[in-house]
Amino acid sequence: MRILVVEDDNLVASGIKQGLSQAGYTVDVADSAEAAEDSLRNEAFDLAVVDIGLPRADGLTLIRRLREQDNPLPILVLTARGSMEDTISGLDVGADDYMTKPFRLPELSARIRALIRRSHAIADTCLHHNGLTLDTNSRTATLGGAPLELTKREWAILEALLMASPNVVSKDRLVQTLAGWDKDITLNAIEVYVSRLRAKLAEGYIEIRTVRGIGYRIDAPA
Amino acid sequence: MPPPDSPAARPAPSLRQRLLLAILLPMAAVFAVSVFFDYRLAKETADAAFDQSLTDDALDIASHIRNSENLPLLELSAEVETMLRNDAPDKVYFAVRDSAGQLLAGDADLPDFPVAAHKQAEFKDSAFRGEPTRVVFYKIRSPHGDLTITVAETIVKRNGASRTILTAMILPTLAVILATFMAVYFGVRKGLRPLENVEKEIATRSPRDLREIAIDATPREIRPMLARLNELFDLLRLASAAQQRFLTDAAHQLRTPLAGLQTQIELATAEGRFQSDPERLSRIEDATERISHLVDQLLTYARAESSTAATQIFEPVSLAVLAEKAASIFLDRALGKNIDLGFEIAPATVDGSPWMLREALANIIDNALRYTPAHGVVTVRSGMRGAAAILEVEDNGAGIPADERERVFERFYRRPGSPSGGCGLGLAIVREIAALHGASVELADPQGTTGLRIALVFPRAGAPAHTDPHRGIDSPAMEKP
Repeated sequence: MRILVVEDDNLVASGIKQGLSQAGYTVDVADSAEAAEDSLRNEAFDLAVVDIGLPRADGLTLIRRLREQDNPLPILVLTARGSMEDTISGLDVGADDYMTKPFRLPELSARIRALIRRSHAIADTCLHHNGLTLDTNSRTATLGGAPLELTKREWAILEALLMASPNVVSKDRLVQTLAGWDKDITLNAIEVYVSRLRAKLAEGYIEIRTVRGIGYRIDAPA
Repeated sequence: MPPPDSPAARPAPSLRQRLLLAILLPMAAVFAVSVFFDYRLAKETADAAFDQSLTDDALDIASHIRNSENLPLLELSAEVETMLRNDAPDKVYFAVRDSAGQLLAGDADLPDFPVAAHKQAEFKDSAFRGEPTRVVFYKIRSPHGDLTITVAETIVKRNGASRTILTAMILPTLAVILATFMAVYFGVRKGLRPLENVEKEIATRSPRDLREIAIDATPREIRPMLARLNELFDLLRLASAAQQRFLTDAAHQLRTPLAGLQTQIELATAEGRFQSDPERLSRIEDATERISHLVDQLLTYARAESSTAATQIFEPVSLAVLAEKAASIFLDRALGKNIDLGFEIAPATVDGSPWMLREALANIIDNALRYTPAHGVVTVRSGMRGAAAILEVEDNGAGIPADERERVFERFYRRPGSPSGGCGLGLAIVREIAALHGASVELADPQGTTGLRIALVFPRAGAPAHTDPHRGIDSPAMEKP
């Protein structure tokens, strides 16, 4: 996996480079939007970490240009401003996620892992999570290598939870997910499907956590 | 020169008072003068008519004077005299005298008066036999010398006529005055209504609302004033934007080296550099985290504080969505401390700034998680209480004693024995944001347990119309394809 870090602050850039290298990624650093565009033209990357506060053309401009060129590269924005306007405009121009400085390296790698996983899920239609694999193309699931039988509804709920992980998914949202072919589905029915899912996943790989009053969550992979 | 602190402080009269006074006082004077002259004119006309009839009486008497050989004689039958003397309700007296003042006929006690011209009636007001009378003197020639005919009449009819004229004039005039007063009063009120509307618009806007006042629909006279006001708003907006820029720059400058520091510590740890002294490492990590937290909180506080927030425009924010989003943010911290973090979410929408409300809720939940011991319960609620929208967090920790509940809102106040990590700005931020939204912060005991229930109460909340879970708050990583 190759990552491009676009950051003009040496201290931060070298820290990220070392940290991500130790996590097993190949890391290139560009200190300006122009240098980043050069690298992206000539080489292939799986993800870019972009600081918003770059000299000359800022990070938002870089992202906008990349998206205008239909570059689907997953992008994680780093912002030091901590203002919602910045992060929202970052997401608006096409970034996939953001982190506010200062950040913890483990969280940065977790977000990067999730972004790459998601982009690959779109590409190869597979969701992977702690030994669980959902192939959204062939509609087959495996748990620890063994085939896992899921009903249509169980599949839809598990897919929604995996896509959102590690965020919480409300029962209302699950109802909306199922409402496409199940008009009269109730909150109670969701609970029944989740408890069946839990029984099927009991092998110990994945836990569907109940969040009191809202819904469910699958924890980030260990 | 008046002393400097003399009555200058007395407020100037209102525009309406000034207008009413300036219009109604001269108008009242004009009415008074006009009534006076009208009355005089009408009375003179009436008096002239009465005088004419008095003169006719004198001529009537003159026509009855016969000239005998050596002296003139008044030949008046008793019938004619009675008719002449009784002009009910008035009484008429008369006297005919010769040039020497010798009474020829009539009432001897009727006073005499030297009359210059012939056939020229002269009038006098004078009392006769205890009653006010109008008297006419009329001089005619006769073969025996000049004769003066004097006729006096009491003035009952004249007074009656005066009263009738006065009444006939005063009543319609009063009606006109009243109508004019009402027209002026309501006209002034209506004319000044645009001013009141502008005043109302300025009075009801929040002190942080620095948007321009719409000038187009206002009267031409107050537009220059409003334009000046808008220029002032502009200046304030610029100043506030400059301050905001300074804050974001400061944040950038502080956060980037902090990010570097944090990363280096983590790398050094991962490389095993702190194996000999893990306690020192945890102290360094703790300190770094506290600096980061303090920087975050300072910036949030400064941005939420009065003028810097002026550039924020409010929009409808769903408190339910706000609470729901907080679940993803705080669940891991709650799990790490074995706290049962739960939610009771009902729809409620307020007008506000999404990021500020998110910060306020985050600070309240952060506090609850910080001060609730392991295995505690923290519950986040949203919903309506009557017409008010509520966002509240309840925990079953130690709570805050009633006598300290005001102090905890002070900046940098930290209760003795607080766990480390906090910087004492959390509740100050919450109160600042609440004030900005016209909301109050309530601290209360939860029902039937120890702990604290802290609620943001938005009194003017609209109906919970916005229950769409997709709007209101930014959702960073969720629901992206």
